[in-house]
Amino acid sequence: MSYTESTPSPKYTRPRRFFSPIGVILGFALGLAGGLLISWVFFPVEEIDVAPWQLQTADREQYLIAIALAYSEDGNLDRAVGRLLSLRLNDDPIQAMADTACRLATTGYVNSTSGLRAVRSMMQFYQPQGRVGCADEMISAAAAPTQVVDVTLPTSTPTLTPAATKTATPESAVLATATPLAITVPTPANVSAFEAISVNTLCSGAESGLIQVQVYQINGTTGIPGQTIRARWQGGDSYFVTGMIPERGPGFADFQMTEGMSYIIDMPGAASPIDAALEAVPCTDPNTGERAITSYRVIFRSIT
Amino acid sequence: MVRFFASLLVALLVGLGLGLYLGWVQFPVQQTDSAATVLAQRYKDEYTVMIAQGYLADQDITGALERLRMFQVDNIPTYVQDVTERYITNSRDVRDIRVLVALSEGLGRLTPIMEPYRPLPVSGA
Repeated sequence: MSYTESTPSPKYTRPRRFFSPIGVILGFALGLAGGLLISWVFFPVEEIDVAPWQLQTADREQYLIAIALAYSEDGNLDRAVGRLLSLRLNDDPIQAMADTACRLATTGYVNSTSGLRAVRSMMQFYQPQGRVGCADEMISAAAAPTQVVDVTLPTSTPTLTPAATKTATPESAVLATATPLAITVPTPANVSAFEAISVNTLCSGAESGLIQVQVYQINGTTGIPGQTIRARWQGGDSYFVTGMIPERGPGFADFQMTEGMSYIIDMPGAASPIDAALEAVPCTDPNTGERAITSYRVIFRSIT
Repeated sequence: MVRFFASLLVALLVGLGLGLYLGWVQFPVQQTDSAATVLAQRYKDEYTVMIAQGYLADQDITGALERLRMFQVDNIPTYVQDVTERYITNSRDVRDIRVLVALSEGLGRLTPIMEPYRPLPVSGA
């Protein structure tokens, strides 16, 4: 019986690699997947120098508004379009501005003067480029003339003194003695008892949206209590009286405005309305940076 | 078996390193919802100039302040002053400097270095 030596299978005769190909492929795939998972999902890079196109929607809109405002000052279309392109809006960045103006016009953004001005700037940018948006139908691109409020004040009708009737006197009478002619100039009762001598604006987070009125005697320092002040706005009015807050002085009174409204202040029957409407527009307290509504200080002084 | 696990471990580390490099350096995640506070300085400057231009056009200091609040800086007038003085120091475009000076002055921060760049008074007014 003889054994025949069979040739061993090549599987056992070929030299072994010092690494496992399957282990390498599997390990590399797992490592790569893990690395990407860590760097993209669990610990992504914190960006600190982003470009305008990476901003959140609200801030991107602010950037758009700024572009339109800058264009309204320099009229440099190339520069404005270059800035628009940095926002990577869509195929037509100018139309995107029209769409944004439309969105802003349908919100409370245009309730303030600043907001309205900004939307108008946007319209003045995109309209000449042939783009349209819904803001065109809601807002005029040109600034409207300053609103004039007609105020009719009650005025008293002066009663003139009837002219003296001349009575013929006999020629034989003694020489008449000339008497001085008394002339009475009628004045409207009470209307000009006070005058508004100053209207100042302030922005304070602590006193947001207040109309603070002081009524002084003719010396300008002594407050007068019990004076009625009237605030009028579209569709309503309110009366308030000085001296109700003694710690602020006898001539002090205040009134809380509502954001977005305009008010006319006067002293009914005692002082004419102030020249311009007081607008309750948003502002930023320069000291604290806090958002507030513009406040006003109005001073009336007696002129009698 | 040892050979298999050794290969797996080495390749895993190489793959992990490559994955981290690609994810952090080569193809980092690009945020598209970032706040304006992390806007690159050059764009912050450009935005401030644009707001200053708007202020020069409409003299609306309240609106300008409101729009600059986007950066959430503690003191907006000081921020505008810093940008303006940096523009002057770096000899940037004089038109940009002029509008920044106008805004800075509007915010009550006119410093001596800004004086020469104040907008010229309109004659014949």
